Amino acid sequence: MKKILFLYLTLINVAFGYHYDDIVLKAQASIFPKIILLDKKIQNKLIDGKIVYTIVYNKSDYNTALSIEKFINKNFQGSLDKYNYKVNLVEFEKFSIQTQASAVYVLNLSEHIEKIAKVASEKGIISFSYDINNLKKGLMFSLVIEKSTVLYLKKEILFATKIEFVDALLQMVRFVEADYIDKNNFDYQNKLNSRNYYAKYFMNQKK
Amino acid sequence: MTSKFFWNVLSTSSLLLTSLNAQSNNILDSITKDMDRFNNVATITKQNEDYQPYIISVFNGKELETLGVSNLKESLQLVPGVDITTDNFNNQTPIFRGSNALAYGQTKLFIDDILVNNLFFDSYSEYLGLPIEMIKRIEVVRGPGSKTNGVNAYAGSIHVITYAEDFKDFESKDKMIFKYGSYDYRMSGFIQKFKTENLTATVDFYYQKDNKKLKAGPDGYSQGSMSSTDLGKDNTTLSQNGDAPVWNEDYSLSLNLKYKDFTLKGRSLNHTQGSAYGINLSLPQNEDRVKLPSYYLELGYDKEISNFYLDIKAGVKYDTFDSKAKLGPNGVDFIDYEKFVNSNNTIVNNVIFPNGIYGEHLAKQRTLYQSSYLTYKGIDNHTITSGYRFLKEETTDMVSKLSNWATGDAALVDYTETFPFFNKNAERNIKIFSLQDEFQFNKKLNFIYGFNYETTSYEDAGFEPRISMVYQKDLENIFKAIYSRSHRNPSWQEMFTANNAARVGSTDLKPEKVDALEFSYIKKFSTDTYLQTNIFYLQNKDQIYNSATDPLYRNVVDTDIYGLELEYTGHLSSDDKLYLNYTYLTGTSTITDTGERSSLTNVAHHLAKGYYIYNLNNNLSLSGIAKYVGEKKRVLSDTRNKVDAYTTIDTTLNYKNHTYNYDIAFSIKNIFDEHVIYPSTPKTYSQDYTQEGRTFLVTLRKEF
Repeated sequence: MKKILFLYLTLINVAFGYHYDDIVLKAQASIFPKIILLDKKIQNKLIDGKIVYTIVYNKSDYNTALSIEKFINKNFQGSLDKYNYKVNLVEFEKFSIQTQASAVYVLNLSEHIEKIAKVASEKGIISFSYDINNLKKGLMFSLVIEKSTVLYLKKEILFATKIEFVDALLQMVRFVEADYIDKNNFDYQNKLNSRNYYAKYFMNQKK
Repeated sequence: MTSKFFWNVLSTSSLLLTSLNAQSNNILDSITKDMDRFNNVATITKQNEDYQPYIISVFNGKELETLGVSNLKESLQLVPGVDITTDNFNNQTPIFRGSNALAYGQTKLFIDDILVNNLFFDSYSEYLGLPIEMIKRIEVVRGPGSKTNGVNAYAGSIHVITYAEDFKDFESKDKMIFKYGSYDYRMSGFIQKFKTENLTATVDFYYQKDNKKLKAGPDGYSQGSMSSTDLGKDNTTLSQNGDAPVWNEDYSLSLNLKYKDFTLKGRSLNHTQGSAYGINLSLPQNEDRVKLPSYYLELGYDKEISNFYLDIKAGVKYDTFDSKAKLGPNGVDFIDYEKFVNSNNTIVNNVIFPNGIYGEHLAKQRTLYQSSYLTYKGIDNHTITSGYRFLKEETTDMVSKLSNWATGDAALVDYTETFPFFNKNAERNIKIFSLQDEFQFNKKLNFIYGFNYETTSYEDAGFEPRISMVYQKDLENIFKAIYSRSHRNPSWQEMFTANNAARVGSTDLKPEKVDALEFSYIKKFSTDTYLQTNIFYLQNKDQIYNSATDPLYRNVVDTDIYGLELEYTGHLSSDDKLYLNYTYLTGTSTITDTGERSSLTNVAHHLAKGYYIYNLNNNLSLSGIAKYVGEKKRVLSDTRNKVDAYTTIDTTLNYKNHTYNYDIAFSIKNIFDEHVIYPSTPKTYSQDYTQEGRTFLVTLRKEF
């Protein structure tokens, strides 16, 4: 009987809402919408003059998505700087190139991340991820609480043509590689001084 | 040509940098402030625990509620390397990493940053019943690396954070709680907050009571308590079996106020418990009781000015040991012990207690303290904190009443002046000076180093250094190394107990000392999945010990302990939560005055705990807790068999109504009615202390 119960307790695998960290969720909900404003090409992404912040979620995470929407509305009171905004909740199966989105925020999903990242890339919009591990699957931004709060950005964003961030943001973030979290990321931060960094950045832009 | 181009590009980039418009600057400034704010919340709530220079486990109150955990004690049983022990008072104590299983003050309990260990035992068993609904978070730091400003935690520290803690965007709700369970356990309580622009007040209250009795015996009389071969007295036939009254009754009221830079924290806990296994090891009557009330009040002021942060606190804490019980059975045949002791063991008058021996023992303690700490962040990559903490500890009242030693009459006689059980003038002053620097060497590596220097009106602890390092190799791999020295001052009981055949206090006792080396490696698999591996070596010196054959407390035990802890948090799939930990510990212990050397005794070498939670749907969750405690070896002179290992499994079904914000939970604990026992010391209760078997608990929580 004990063995049966032990197996029952340890092997059962029933789907339910992912356990989200409240601090990380709220930090992301406070900061990510502001990052959209630092895209110099934001005008190209407005939909009916509004910023549409689309939250993509698994069906079981609907309550989490809803709570984020409430939190954003409470904090921003309907406008991001000079722009009105709308929060759009979309189940991941329904997210496509037709989905209205000026930026997309992806909650935890075990699959379809690559597809969402591809759509975001084609639309030329910023993509944010709850889980930093999804940056290696193509999403752009994540926020992690380490010893301090750290914004991570996939390095390839520097080569995107439809997104252009103000330079100061790029000094604030840490970069990760596309295929995997960059093991030398800190070296990158430490060793590259800003002069070399911007030289490289603008040379890439010129190409 | 390339160089010219390069500098042109650089000039352009510089111009771009300096021409950032005000709008972007404002947004960036706002993002920076947000990051600082959330970083502050994460640091205070130990969200970034993996990067902190401690070996720490953090348990969230809400999650523990979902698991059906009822109180602080049950929460601590989930912590890696922690076991629970008890004694004849039923003074239950968490044992961290096998450190001196017979002492009490090895660990410190803080509630909202206030140290609440009582002075009499240096324990906190009266707080172990603190309902989980009153607890927002429990942070358990294992090892002396847990040194907090001015407070030495010898084997570990437990920080209970109540719902008085609040941050912007993380405000908690008011709530009411009702519980009913086995042993006619009833509990009700509430948390209420009041807020104005500058003032925040949080009140929590609870009342709980049960009528728990546990099978016990034969009692200590069977092992020679109140018997003496030298005096020709044999009371072993008066030994009893039966139910030990281990019931509890608590009511507690707490108030936390914050007004601008000032805080006021107060709590009044009135804890009464059954006399359990008897002060003199005779099974007591059901109504016999021990009161262990605890009251504290602390005024604080903290202010951040430029690069400085000032933190000033002053407080008072009262605790009492108040026992009223039948101490010996009818017909005890002994001697006039008062006359015997006061005549230097020369006068032996026989006396019989036909109606038994009764006693009232009271010792009230007061601790006054004041501390000031200043933190300076003006030097790049350094955070320097320095300050002091002064304490004045004293006994303010003592009463010692017993049945008549001369006549054997059961009626109480006041022996407070002539034959006290305790030194009514007990007093100790402590001064602690601390200096610490947190040095961020680079983004990967940071150090904390510093020391405490402590003097007391008895033996000094002196200089105690600590250095720790955290190395974050990358996002997935974090390493920690900690060296620290700490101490435990003798408890009041160990210093000031008098006229007791089983315990003789001594003011010559030195603090117990520990030197600890701890290493930790954390492998992070994802945002919320990690495996932490800790190895530790603890060199304990001058541990305080007494025994039935030599009841004088003395610094005669040296113990080396080393071990391994594994702690995993993660998922079996992407949708669930699993927590597991395992501890292996071993070592040797030497009683220096007899040369007796043995492997660790009264300590489980293997401990494993874990829990699993899943939601059947958005409203209903099912969870399970499993705990394994390995067998325990006896001390060398104890011929009894080892204490058996045991495994307990609990389960809870929790229903949450999101519309009306209430929860109903039904728990079954120790489903298989496993025989759980805590070891007794030799010559006491030979069959150890049996704990409860299968129990149930129903909980109703409503948030407003």
